[in-house]
Amino acid sequence: MNKRYDVVVIGGGHNGLVHAAYLARAGKKVLVLERRHIVGGAAITEEVFPGFHFSVASYVVSLLRPEIIRELDLPRHGLEILPLDGTFTPMENGDYLWRVNDHAKTRREIARHSKVDAEAYEEYGKAMIEMGRFVKPILSLTPPDPTSLDPRGLWELLKIGRRFQKLRPEDQQNQVQLMTMSAVDFLDRWFETDVLKATMAASGIIGTFLGVRSPGTAYVLLHHYMGEIDGAFRSWGFARGGTGAISEAIAAAAREAGVEIRTEAPIAQIRVRSGRATGVVLEDGEEIDAAVVSSSVDPRLTFLKMIGRKELPDDFVEDLERYKFRGSSGKVNLALDGLPEFRSLPGAGQHLRGAISISPSIEYMERAYDDAKYGHFSRRPYMDVVIPSLTDPSIAPPGKHVMSCFVQYAPYHLKEGHWDDQREAFGDAVIDALALHAPNIRNHILHRQVLTPLDIERVFGLTEGNIFQGELTLEQLFFLRPAPGWAQYRTPIRGLYMCGAATHPGGGIMGAPGRNAASILLQDSKRRRA
Amino acid sequence: MSGAGRRDIVIVGAGVNGLVAAGLLAKAGFRPLVVERRAAVGGTAVTEEFHPGFRASMVATTAGPILPTIARELELRRHSFDPIRPAVRTFAPSADGRALLLFEDPSRTAAELAAFSKKDADRFLQFHASLSAIGGLLAPLLSTTPPRIDRPGGGDVLRFGRLGRSFRALPKRDAWRLLRWGPMAVADFAAEWFESEPLRAVISARGVAGCFAGPWSAGTTANLLLAAAADPHSGGAGGFVRGGMGKLSDALAAAARAAGAEIRTGAEVVSVRVVKGAAAGVVLSGGEEIPAGAVVSSADPKTTFLRLVDPAEQDPDFLSNVSNLRSTGTAAMLHFALSGLPDFRALAGKDAAGALAGRIHIGTEVDEIERAYDAAKYGELSPRPYCEASIPSLSDPGLAPAGRHVLSVRAQYAPFALKSGGWNERRRELEDAVVRLVSEHAPNWKSLIVGSRVLTPPDLEATYGMTGGHIHHLEHSLDQVFTMRPLLGWARYRTPIAGLYLCGSGTHPGGGMTGANGANAAREIVRDRKRRT
Repeated sequence: MNKRYDVVVIGGGHNGLVHAAYLARAGKKVLVLERRHIVGGAAITEEVFPGFHFSVASYVVSLLRPEIIRELDLPRHGLEILPLDGTFTPMENGDYLWRVNDHAKTRREIARHSKVDAEAYEEYGKAMIEMGRFVKPILSLTPPDPTSLDPRGLWELLKIGRRFQKLRPEDQQNQVQLMTMSAVDFLDRWFETDVLKATMAASGIIGTFLGVRSPGTAYVLLHHYMGEIDGAFRSWGFARGGTGAISEAIAAAAREAGVEIRTEAPIAQIRVRSGRATGVVLEDGEEIDAAVVSSSVDPRLTFLKMIGRKELPDDFVEDLERYKFRGSSGKVNLALDGLPEFRSLPGAGQHLRGAISISPSIEYMERAYDDAKYGHFSRRPYMDVVIPSLTDPSIAPPGKHVMSCFVQYAPYHLKEGHWDDQREAFGDAVIDALALHAPNIRNHILHRQVLTPLDIERVFGLTEGNIFQGELTLEQLFFLRPAPGWAQYRTPIRGLYMCGAATHPGGGIMGAPGRNAASILLQDSKRRRA
Repeated sequence: MSGAGRRDIVIVGAGVNGLVAAGLLAKAGFRPLVVERRAAVGGTAVTEEFHPGFRASMVATTAGPILPTIARELELRRHSFDPIRPAVRTFAPSADGRALLLFEDPSRTAAELAAFSKKDADRFLQFHASLSAIGGLLAPLLSTTPPRIDRPGGGDVLRFGRLGRSFRALPKRDAWRLLRWGPMAVADFAAEWFESEPLRAVISARGVAGCFAGPWSAGTTANLLLAAAADPHSGGAGGFVRGGMGKLSDALAAAARAAGAEIRTGAEVVSVRVVKGAAAGVVLSGGEEIPAGAVVSSADPKTTFLRLVDPAEQDPDFLSNVSNLRSTGTAAMLHFALSGLPDFRALAGKDAAGALAGRIHIGTEVDEIERAYDAAKYGELSPRPYCEASIPSLSDPGLAPAGRHVLSVRAQYAPFALKSGGWNERRRELEDAVVRLVSEHAPNWKSLIVGSRVLTPPDLEATYGMTGGHIHHLEHSLDQVFTMRPLLGWARYRTPIAGLYLCGSGTHPGGGMTGANGANAAREIVRDRKRRT
């Protein structure tokens, strides 16, 4: 049993698996250790109630890097993306806004609210695609260290600068504003329709402890347009069989490349001998030797739980303690025996096959955030709702449906009470907020699964329930993620790497951290051998 | 001499920046004419009688940040500029009735803090040193014309290189701090350093002064660092001017005149005349035209481009970018004439007159300030505004009749546009909220009030001319600083109109009475104009 591996990867989430697959393809002998009984981390499908298969946590595909899909040949390993067309936003006044992929249709729909905005929407889309083109290469870049004198790092920064200079002046302006403004302020420059701005701004706050008016949220608006440039896939979609199917496909690709994957193998400790990682110790005491350990779990678990302060530099520990998680979202999964009927657009139309966004106004969104700022879950939360069983009937019994509600805000740290006592109250608030728009929902709920941020932490090992393994705020991005001076996937412990969402470019089912980290690790091992 | 002849330079507005520009341009050999709409010079740096016998600095109250280089170059002291530095920088009564005092001398502050938190007391000197180091690094930036990052030239590369070198010269820890702190919420910044809530609230407040942002808004730490660049002190805003802020303006005006500038008050510029894409002069409200080789506007960018320059002469994209600039004022000024000194409960048995001589911070918790901000987001008046008060008559008795006092308050947040009702009906409501809030700490003060004046953001706009009543002209936020102030590509005091310059708070380094905007603009104008001759 005491085999020696080149690399042991901690955590079998999508980043750990991507990372492992790339390493194995480069000839490394790799073992992935997963605490749970299934691989996938937060990208999993589980039969929570008999016959109902839920993408329990992460529920849509949007940003999975096309180069990963291509290089790991994921379609051959069973990945199939089904369309998720459009966003339907019911309003409080009984009207609605329904945007779809068909530009002409969306334009007509927006014109119903504002003619000026319909024009601006086209312009906006074009501008955002330009911005996306600029940002995209940064995603696969290893962040340089601006404080070092290493000319390579400076060269990378200079190259970004050069590309920036080549942008047209209006695109330069858009770019700096995207990086610094709030989603609402940015959208105010383009649009006048409140509901349009509210529902677009929503994508800027997903997974963060920020409101639509908080500076720094505009940047995420880009993500929606990134998919369009990639071309190969729609911007948003479901994986057939649920989100777990993505992880299954990556795992299959990894296995084919020679990766060994062990589930139900929780790690107690990363073994460190004189400043160097030499392997891991499982909770049952089993020791596994490895030349290199690569962790896809968050830095607090990796360093403070699995290694311990005394092996680490004080500054680094201080930075880790400062690293902000602040989980802000929950998930409510519903098994339904019928479809919701929206007051503003009754019937089981196409609008139910896309995303249903409960973001009726900017004030609604911002008030939801205000509740969370002071330690309460939102009484009227923002929600991103999907009914994937309409597109993929295999995941629910005939005639029945699964409905997934991503809910914000649900702060990990409650001011009063404990999440274990507030779970059902939170679930009720979600149903109440939904019922405002679709009153019949109450009659169709067969089962309800409520995941609070505390549950997300317990089940998925995401500290404080942060779905991105740490806030995606400006001070925790790029060369500052996860800690100043340690943004290049390496760590103060020799032979220990980070490859999860807590590294650049962050969370979402993107796979970029796993892939970027693999290339750094391979580079280092080549250098050592040379 | 009448203003009829052609001038080499006309400066619109005799605020601090307009006067600094005038003084420095005159010293460089030009004969600038400053044209001021109001009867007195000073713009927002004015001392006015708001109640018989009581005078106050009506808008700006802090003279600390005026750049020492400017004060020296214009010999302000010779023109009777007399700054006052009280020993106490900030007094903050806490919710439980204790007095938090921040002194000019940081070690006294540290000693005082021990009563609140031993840990905070230990960290305070480190905080002071770190803020000083970073403030010191940023200070030269205030007097730097932002480089063109869109199309850098040789000089810009050099300037960037110099910036990079001083950044690299910082201890690595401080270099990282600078990168990390800028975009952070000031509440997070304060919490990283300290654990006691009153101290966190005081530090956070410095990041939101005059801004439409709360302490939990990302990027507010940058405001604090910018303030630290002008005054790298841990204790909050600096001192006063003897005779009120108007005396600073008078000194600047005297210095400008002595150097050869001319100043005309009571003359409102209604338009900047543009001929063939170049500024050719200004037109006054009476119809008088003053031809000029160059026009320098110290008015805010929205006033300058949307009101003073004919839209037909401007690029529509540029105009649309200007109209999108954020300039919603949320700070109101209130001045109270008092028959005596209020008794603050927290100061019972202490040297009250000494403690009250600096700034009085009223906002006991970070979240309380944040809640005050929340209201403004929805166009509502904060029921419990955050207040920065001062009693300048303590160190400058001439501002009030003997034994009496002036108490000035900057109250946040009072949004320019209210969702319901107009400011004329609700001005009183704001005053009542402030009176109530101060009463919580000084119960007797209400009975001392003999007169008051409230300036809401629309009042500030109407009286002093800033669009939206924003005391910094444009919001201080990451998207409107440095190379992006007022707009990317136009941060170098020049404008798309040849010969038209900006020199007000709407340019780098923003509001805050440093005078740097005027000095930087003057330097760029000299560079352009000298080159031509």
